[in-house]
Amino acid sequence: MSSDARQKLFFREAIIRALREEMDRNERIIVLGQDVAEFGGSYREFEGLFERFGRARVRNTPVAESAMIGLGVGAAAAGLRALVTITYMDFLMLGLDPLVNYAAKARYKTGGQIEVPLVVKTTAGAKGQGVAHSQCIEAWLMAVPGLKVVAPATPADAYGLLKSALRERGPVVYVDHKRLFPTAGEVPNEETLIPLGEAAIRRCGSDVTIATFSFMTRIAERSAERLAAEGISCEIVDLRSLAPLDMATVCGSAGRTGALLTLEEGQLSCGVGAEVIFRARESLANLRTARIGALPAPVSSNPILEAACIPDVERVTDAVRGLLASR
Amino acid sequence: MDRIELLRAMLLIRAFEAALMRRSDHGFQLLSEGQEAVAVGLCSVLGERDQLLTSGRSIAPALARGLEPGAVMAELLGKTAGPCRGKGGRGHLAQRSAGFFGAHAVVAGNLSIAAGVALAAQLQEPGTIVACLFGDGACGAGALHETLNIAALWKLPLLLVCDNNGYSVSTPRSEALAPKSLSDLAGPFGIPARTVDGMDVAAVRDAARELAERSRTGAGPVFLECLSERFASHSTAVRETRSAAEMQAIRKRCPISRLADNLEAEGGLSASARKQLEEEVRRAIAAAVRFAEAAPYPDPSEAVSDVV
Repeated sequence: MSSDARQKLFFREAIIRALREEMDRNERIIVLGQDVAEFGGSYREFEGLFERFGRARVRNTPVAESAMIGLGVGAAAAGLRALVTITYMDFLMLGLDPLVNYAAKARYKTGGQIEVPLVVKTTAGAKGQGVAHSQCIEAWLMAVPGLKVVAPATPADAYGLLKSALRERGPVVYVDHKRLFPTAGEVPNEETLIPLGEAAIRRCGSDVTIATFSFMTRIAERSAERLAAEGISCEIVDLRSLAPLDMATVCGSAGRTGALLTLEEGQLSCGVGAEVIFRARESLANLRTARIGALPAPVSSNPILEAACIPDVERVTDAVRGLLASR
Repeated sequence: MDRIELLRAMLLIRAFEAALMRRSDHGFQLLSEGQEAVAVGLCSVLGERDQLLTSGRSIAPALARGLEPGAVMAELLGKTAGPCRGKGGRGHLAQRSAGFFGAHAVVAGNLSIAAGVALAAQLQEPGTIVACLFGDGACGAGALHETLNIAALWKLPLLLVCDNNGYSVSTPRSEALAPKSLSDLAGPFGIPARTVDGMDVAAVRDAARELAERSRTGAGPVFLECLSERFASHSTAVRETRSAAEMQAIRKRCPISRLADNLEAEGGLSASARKQLEEEVRRAIAAAVRFAEAAPYPDPSEAVSDVV
């Protein structure tokens, strides 16, 4: 088998592979969550782990997000390494106290005595499930010192970022997107880690940089295809890691194109794009910028209203044309 | 721990807090004056490899756990000689190597953390237990109920100790908590529980020992409620709301006087031995204050160290 051999995997398979490899390598890793054992997870993303590692390491929990995260934090602080899965990112709000007030501050507040190697794995994004099952609150988490946040757009990144997250010293929130689960992608057969804090250029272009992440990377790719037909060349930067942010890659690209569009599914106010654009402007003079995110409204389960709320190819292509027309 | 040692531990806490409060730079503190017996009785049954987590009312339990008074004073005054290099303060005081996993200044915030530490203990250090000390204020929070449920399901080696001083800041227990007895909260989860007089250090010790041993030998979580009295207001930032007459009656229940008087009456402690004990404690606290005063403050660059 050559070292660049690849295999097509769905997201859930990439996640299972990452966890299986890391749990084989490190017997201190435990998985806590609702329906993670025999059932194999809501997206079947833990399938086979219970059979391989047993009930001591793959534990079903009651529906109690605060205690689930608190237990994971405490166990990690005391020498284990916990992955806690929160089925919907909306429910992460119930567990923000142990995550933000304890895990993110533990090393600092104890003067380096206690570290919390915890991964909270969750899912963001709209997929017909309504106002409290659709939110993207990654930007809230980016504002917490001590917390790292990653959000992959491909199975290879899901695999590589989750593996890296499981080797971090401190807490990481790993965010899948519900609409990505039915998709597949090439993943290297060889063990490959993707470092936190490194963006990836998904498409090279010369007229505009689109900085995005997670499922919106797909929307950016489709938008770039359509714009290419009009003679507009888009470069797509997939941030992958939101904290830390790889501003060197964003600024390298935006410096070449002179225009930066940010695209996210979450809210624009204090959002990922607001942060990326502000930081880019600190380094780049005369940068033209625009940002796209959800409308300032809840995301309904009504398909008409959901589609109206979150960004689509129309809005992205319009925004790119507008940005370039401002030249 | 015999009763003379228990008395000494309580005297040390009382004198430590008094010395702290004599300083103009004492900062934001939650004191344990009146509640020393709960911390001392509990810590007297913990082994070296056990861990203790507490609420933000952490000074008494930290000293009772055996942390050096000088290091604790340094931490409270923001000096780098504190176990957290002056970054945690009272609210987040911790010295893991001494079995004091530490305080967390969110009411009920340390309960599920303690259950996680107990899970690690169950998997990695069988025979050890984790104790978590919290106030009655935490008993209205969902965190307690979530923790009781999982700890019972997983039979975690967890000793939950409620130091019930009767008030959440100014709100009396009768306005905040419906259960007749707070130890009743453990019942529905099948968790063994007791309520004891928290002003009687021997009673706290004996009950804590019995419950701790049950947990240590595989019974799962246990729950101890200690009925105590807080002699000071909730914190240095909050005014006292109880009447002078009420405070006078409360102070008559002092756990230190109670034990010392009993010992003297039984002939177990002579007047001169009592004086000597008080003098020893006075010297220890004076040394602690000198140590803390001599220690440096952190360099401002430490504001961003140990963050990520």
